[in-house]
Amino acid sequence: MGMFSNVRNHVAELWQAWNRFWFMPTDPATLSLIRLLAGAMLFYTHLVWSLDLQAFFGPDGWLPLDFLRRIHTLPDAEHPQWSVWSHFFWIEKPWILWCTHIFAILVFFCLMLGLFSRVTSVLAFLLAVSYIHRVSPGAFFGLDKINCMLAMYLMLGPCGARYSLDRIRRLRQGDTSPAQPSTSANLAVRLIQLHLCIIYLFSGTAKMMGENWQAGTAVWWSLTNAEYQSIDMTWLANWPALLVVLSLASHVTVFWEVFYCCLVWNRFSRPLVLWMAVAVHGGIALFMGMITFGLAMIYANLSFLKPATVRRWVDPLAGHVSMMLAGSK
Amino acid sequence: MAKKRQEGEPSPVKPIKASRSASGLPWHPVWRWLVSLLVVLHLTAVFCAPWDLSTQAALPPGYRPPTDARGQPLIPSLNDPVWQQPKVPRALRSFFRRYLNLVYINHGYEFFAPDPAGSHLIRYLVWDSGGQEIVRGEFPDLEQQWPRLFYHRHLMLAAQTGDMGEESGRRYAQHLLRAHGGKTIRLEWVHHKLLSPQDVREKKPLDGESTYVVLATIQETASGGSEAPVSILGERR
Repeated sequence: MGMFSNVRNHVAELWQAWNRFWFMPTDPATLSLIRLLAGAMLFYTHLVWSLDLQAFFGPDGWLPLDFLRRIHTLPDAEHPQWSVWSHFFWIEKPWILWCTHIFAILVFFCLMLGLFSRVTSVLAFLLAVSYIHRVSPGAFFGLDKINCMLAMYLMLGPCGARYSLDRIRRLRQGDTSPAQPSTSANLAVRLIQLHLCIIYLFSGTAKMMGENWQAGTAVWWSLTNAEYQSIDMTWLANWPALLVVLSLASHVTVFWEVFYCCLVWNRFSRPLVLWMAVAVHGGIALFMGMITFGLAMIYANLSFLKPATVRRWVDPLAGHVSMMLAGSK
Repeated sequence: MAKKRQEGEPSPVKPIKASRSASGLPWHPVWRWLVSLLVVLHLTAVFCAPWDLSTQAALPPGYRPPTDARGQPLIPSLNDPVWQQPKVPRALRSFFRRYLNLVYINHGYEFFAPDPAGSHLIRYLVWDSGGQEIVRGEFPDLEQQWPRLFYHRHLMLAAQTGDMGEESGRRYAQHLLRAHGGKTIRLEWVHHKLLSPQDVREKKPLDGESTYVVLATIQETASGGSEAPVSILGERR
């Protein structure tokens, strides 16, 4: 009886903890900040496609539709997988291609500004996935994975509750009530956090299999890739002590990625883990020419910031913008 | 019917919805159970994609492969039942495959893993019907593709050629022929090797000729006719 009671109490406590973790209402400040930044990244990412839209998304570009759909077809199947979907599979005329592209750009712009954000967040996710399925495989990379991930979770919560034109619109209509704590905001942020933990875990374990990561030379090889590098770091070769630092950086990167999923939840180790994320992804952005990918990863890491911290940093600026546009903070 | 608020009149502060459960959480327990189930299913899907992609089939411990006439071991083909497949991650990813595709989370997240490798380029030379050279170029090319993200898309086109097979090279060639109004094209898929610290100390430049290896060459005509790709792996330029 005692044992049964202990198990029952343990399960009850577990269920309470689970509920607190997922369903405790939280200030939507963190989610709103991620919307602002991820929306800007989605807007920029898709704006850049405009430079050669027809070549990447037209039916006869780099990746002709018939060729791509054959790749999307499983070996034992007759038809491409329906789950790999894109509105571009049905677009042939250039003017329709451009009309849909302009619509998409407007959607991402509205998401960034937080205008009609409950609708634009859903549209942004659908559009981001639709775009990237058209160029996968072919022209996708890590940025697109993170863009789609963030867009997916933004649509689950009130991502326009703060730092948005939606908020200013409400203020202008006289609704000065503060943004309410939200369960769905917590759910969305928790999902970003856990998804990020899974990403780092497998990125780290995959690196552990690599001989150059084990040897501690991987950072050197990454930095000296001529097609990636934006700052020439080959001078490091003449400084043996600095090569040891690079070697240490390789090992630290692997351990940081593998243990991120544990250490980021502890309030003492969290700041260190998050600053490491800024250093690693900032380094990728600065030295390896992947500014967009580096920033997108940093934006995802912001999900671990407490709403109070976000408000302390962002509210003063947001207050000024609100004063200018709505005459009220 | 709700009374329309006058302009400038402050709105009343919205009360937080009364909690429906003893825990003080706003969502009804049934709703929380349902969402919890969806969360678990979703996170299982997120987890199983990189898990499956990071696992490999293995031969049994102590397995001795048959040998050929020269005594060299013959590695069994991938279809051979002797391979032990990681059944759980394979089954999970197969179960969630459509969902993973639908929401674009079917990834391994192997950023710069297992090892950073050199990058790939595509070089091309286009002629008109009279045999006159129209254009010569390569991608990615920092001088031609700006901003950096646009350059990176072209870098990926060159990098993912290997994943898509030789036909992708032909498709790129046809696209370049159309874009430049050419008749014939010669396209090379090139691997750019990395330099070790020792190479750098010996003053070898990152873009030295010896660092480029042509992996395949494609000759294509605008009519769609093509010669078989000439694989000259290992040849140094």
